[in-house]
Amino acid sequence: MIEMDDKSDFEPKIIGFLCNWCSYAGADLAGVSRFQYPANVRVIRVMCSSRIDPQFVLKALTEGADGVLIAGCHPGDCHYIEGNYRTRRRIAALDKILEKYGLSDRVFLEWVSASEGKRFAEVVTDITNKLKELGPNPHKARWEI
Amino acid sequence: MTDYKALEKQIQDQARQWLESGEVKYVIGFEKGDNSPVCRPVFIYKPEDAGKLAWGPLCNNNLTKYLVEEVQIKPKKGEEPDLRPVGIVVKPCDSKTIVELMKENIVPRERVKIIGVISEGTINPKALDKALKDVPLDKIAGIQILDGGDNFTIKYDGEPLSVPKDELLNGKCKVCVVHNPVVYDIFVGDKVTQIDKDEFEDIADLEAMSDEERYEYWKEQLSKCIRCYACRDTCPLCYCEECVFDRTKPYNWNEKTVDLPENFFYHMVRAMHLAGRCVDCGGCERVCPMDIPIRKLNRFLLKRAKERFKVVPGINVEDKAMFGDYDIDDPGEGIK
Ligand code: SF4
Ligand code: SF4
Ligand code: FES
Repeated sequence: MIEMDDKSDFEPKIIGFLCNWCSYAGADLAGVSRFQYPANVRVIRVMCSSRIDPQFVLKALTEGADGVLIAGCHPGDCHYIEGNYRTRRRIAALDKILEKYGLSDRVFLEWVSASEGKRFAEVVTDITNKLKELGPNPHKARWEI
Repeated sequence: MTDYKALEKQIQDQARQWLESGEVKYVIGFEKGDNSPVCRPVFIYKPEDAGKLAWGPLCNNNLTKYLVEEVQIKPKKGEEPDLRPVGIVVKPCDSKTIVELMKENIVPRERVKIIGVISEGTINPKALDKALKDVPLDKIAGIQILDGGDNFTIKYDGEPLSVPKDELLNGKCKVCVVHNPVVYDIFVGDKVTQIDKDEFEDIADLEAMSDEERYEYWKEQLSKCIRCYACRDTCPLCYCEECVFDRTKPYNWNEKTVDLPENFFYHMVRAMHLAGRCVDCGGCERVCPMDIPIRKLNRFLLKRAKERFKVVPGINVEDKAMFGDYDIDDPGEGIK
């Protein structure tokens, strides 16, 4: 395991769940438009943000991801009409759980549409900076014991 | 003040009547333990056994788990299923569980006949052990507990003890605001006037902590967990026929190793599955052999469900489940 005493050296690992219809296309647009953003996010494409069982997020954190980004269509724009409204409730509950276990500020829910390539780049930059500030996920240490 | 003997008599009479008329298949209730004052579950099939049914502040179990098992039993091939209702004795918190089970279409209303008993608090057996440390061991099984308003009077053949309620009550009872059963066929006892208090005072200390302190707190607690799954097995709302923690295929969600991140995962996922459904009956905490305050986390979710989504589980069958519903105006981005 690499020593990570110096926070500035720390590169957070972010798992990004992007919905197929908006955010994934948004990320694509960020790519083809050559917007620069940190390479910390590992993208997983899902059909809709409501496909993301909070279990996925918790599993990612258990396995040592430093942060999780969930991105979907703006409310009202979901391809399946109401998926993202449901996501919103679930993540609100999940967020409370994480907060109460002292793991808050590691899960981000953002709405990014297919035309918001620039915004996607900004979101990723923003959360990467926040996580750098926060330091590594305490669960990462499990393999050191 | 509750007169336990009078309530016990009413419960027995009702059960006897139902069993005599054959209205119910059997009655699930409490009986007195053999060598302990703590009550245990009992299944009464014959009217003449109805006298076994007991009632008191040591009836801790949430019996609705057996109800779920009853409705989930599949009849043997070629056998006519006996669809008569089952009688059950419930405390107010257990009756809330039945509301949730009906809401989720697990227990149909016509499959259950409910004897709803008022309760002003049950006693934590571990706390009782402490209070009885001076009582000779052979006397303990025969003690009698009376409700004296602010204290419990413990009678045995010796000087009666008077112990303040605060010392003996279960944590859930100290913060409970529902002392009358919410769903019942027969109401046993006199309606208790609803009390008005801050029902979330018990989690204020954790809420005031910083992130690091909370992580340390749970680290200490959850490193004790041996993942015996007793908390899941006793939970009446954990009725999944195949639980995510038992399956290894197609994907092994939870490693079977008992280490901290996996324990966190177990408890967080279970909390998520119970969000907006848990009625705080305290069953999980009661059975935990390692004394982990499991209830605390569910209480945060209860609070969030109430404050943010106006969802209070276990009150009204007509209410929508928290995750079965959404509101276009729910607070959105940057969820906190
Ligand atoms: S009952 Fe206690 S020790 Fe057993 S799995 Fe639940 S929290 Fe862990
Ligand atoms: S822990 Fe979750 S999956 Fe397992 S029985 Fe309970 S609700 Fe079902
Ligand atoms: S399809 Fe994008 S959030 Fe549902």
